[in-house]
Amino acid sequence: MREWIEKQKYIIDFTLSSLLRRKAKNIGLLALYTLIVFILASVMFFTHAIKKEASLILDQSPEMIVQKLVAGRQDLVPLRFVETVRGIRGVQAVRGRLWGYYFDPRFGANYTLLVPPPTAQTGAAGNGSRRVMVEGEPDRNAEGSAGPLFDLGADEIGVGSVVIGSGVARVREAGTGELMLFRAYDGEILPFRIKKILPSSSQLVSSDLILIDEADFKRLFGIADGLVTDLAVTVRNPTELSTIASKITRRLPDARPIIRDEILRTYDSIFNWRGGMMIVILSSAVLAFVIFAWDKASGLSAGERREIGILKAIGWESSDIILMKFWDGAVVSLTAFLSGVILAYGHVFFTDSVVFEPALKGWSTLYPRFKLIPFVSAEQVTTLFFLTVVPYSVATIVPAWRAATIDPDSAMRYTGE
Amino acid sequence: MIELVNVRKVFNAGRPAEFTALSGVNLSIESNKVTVLIGPSGSGKTTLLSIIGCMSRPTAGRVQLAGREITSLPERFLTDIRRKTFGFIFQQHNLIKGITALENVMLPAYPLGERHVPLKQRAMKLMEDLHLSDKAESKVEWLSGGEAQRVGIVRALINNPSTIIADEPTAHLDTQLSHRFLGIVKRFKEERKTVLITTHDPLVYDDPVIDRIIRLRDGRLEVERR
Repeated sequence: MREWIEKQKYIIDFTLSSLLRRKAKNIGLLALYTLIVFILASVMFFTHAIKKEASLILDQSPEMIVQKLVAGRQDLVPLRFVETVRGIRGVQAVRGRLWGYYFDPRFGANYTLLVPPPTAQTGAAGNGSRRVMVEGEPDRNAEGSAGPLFDLGADEIGVGSVVIGSGVARVREAGTGELMLFRAYDGEILPFRIKKILPSSSQLVSSDLILIDEADFKRLFGIADGLVTDLAVTVRNPTELSTIASKITRRLPDARPIIRDEILRTYDSIFNWRGGMMIVILSSAVLAFVIFAWDKASGLSAGERREIGILKAIGWESSDIILMKFWDGAVVSLTAFLSGVILAYGHVFFTDSVVFEPALKGWSTLYPRFKLIPFVSAEQVTTLFFLTVVPYSVATIVPAWRAATIDPDSAMRYTGE
Repeated sequence: MIELVNVRKVFNAGRPAEFTALSGVNLSIESNKVTVLIGPSGSGKTTLLSIIGCMSRPTAGRVQLAGREITSLPERFLTDIRRKTFGFIFQQHNLIKGITALENVMLPAYPLGERHVPLKQRAMKLMEDLHLSDKAESKVEWLSGGEAQRVGIVRALINNPSTIIADEPTAHLDTQLSHRFLGIVKRFKEERKTVLITTHDPLVYDDPVIDRIIRLRDGRLEVERR
């Protein structure tokens, strides 16, 4: 056993010195290999983490949303829908929600305006047809718990005031107590005093958010009383969701129920598509690397073949040569894999994916500046490992095996007769 | 004793470029003697040397080492015999560039898994014997022709083989270095090693240290001189 360990040490030592002897070539290969792993791992980490983030947020959103359609377009929902939906067996609670988007031409930013309920408690109870509930992301320290994002009722905001997200404050360089001007649907300029800025810990949800009083919201967008943006529906038994959805469409033919799982699926495909698009764009780079690596790994130079001949002539077995080449491939590919994965982790979770941000996020005009939860699954890393390390290692062993079976007298033939 | 019985070696058999390097060679090489193989280029000297040294197999015939038939042994056993029985000195030295002289010397012992400290001590002792101590840490490409050859000789001795095989050892040496090489061969003989040398060089085959000269031509043995 001791001899076996010593032998491995000698062979690894010789492999490392061989790699250093071809320094320029191997460093070039390592840099390129690391870059490819970095790109693949970045895309993989980013899409996975953002999907995870989106699903965590959506987990807290209503099980079903009901919209009203007019000529195939979303329209405001009359409050009579609330009673109709509540009358369906299995429906636990129905809440009307008021929210919308506001484009600020001066800053080129899109804000999400939302009317919070008078208090989170009242809203959650679902007993007021005109109450609005603000759903937030879950508390990350207590996974699975569904806490509201902010305990702030409309009563606390008050008419003439707004509470803004940190992204809005950043774009407008606005602080608490300052005035924000909005242009109403009829052209009138409405001033709102900034009452509070939301904490930046919940940026993915709240970055572009503005919380506003119900009366101000309706004044700003010219929404008549008795109308809401959509309905949030809670059911007693989630397995009955699709049955309840079909009952809603039967009773309200112009309504469109959207089940949360459908939204989750849409998110999944959007980010899979974005990630896939990135890979397709970068596929030429990946292909170039594969050709380069294959050439490097599968073809032995005349010098390397001669070296193998010498080693065999002085007493190395074919298995020793294959072992040496195995370590050669393993050292290069493992170093590149680990460096690439670590760099990608830093890139995605510490620098906010600075390189791929525009392609992967594709947000509205105002990019929410947020940090993703570092989420890496063993499955992802294993997939990446098998896609990068294994093919390279195999590509180095096959030609080494072929070369190792050459008669050792090739070392003598180098000069001899 | 190494014995060759009706040994034939054909390269590219069955192809247009078929070439017979050895045709029915019968030969006995005594232990503890210095034997020289001479003959013109293409006469089969190196082929014969590589077959004796278990580097390649004959197309036909048998090779016996100390009474044991080795021709049909699997590659692994042949390697083991080559490693423990033979030390090779090559014409072009065949040192691995980019590593030190000491590492080159130690290379044949790596697959045996010997502890590093005693191995290094033995390598240093052998280098010292051939006045190479100060070159141990030098990269081999920095060595002179004579130094490189002596490193090649020390490498051949690292596993303490009983037989030394040298292929055209003086081909790239001047007269002085050739004499020094023959001095080393004399030491081998005193240490009761079997030495087998191929050469074109009269300086070698006319030296008194040589016990036996075997002449080859067109893959066959010619007149033998003692």
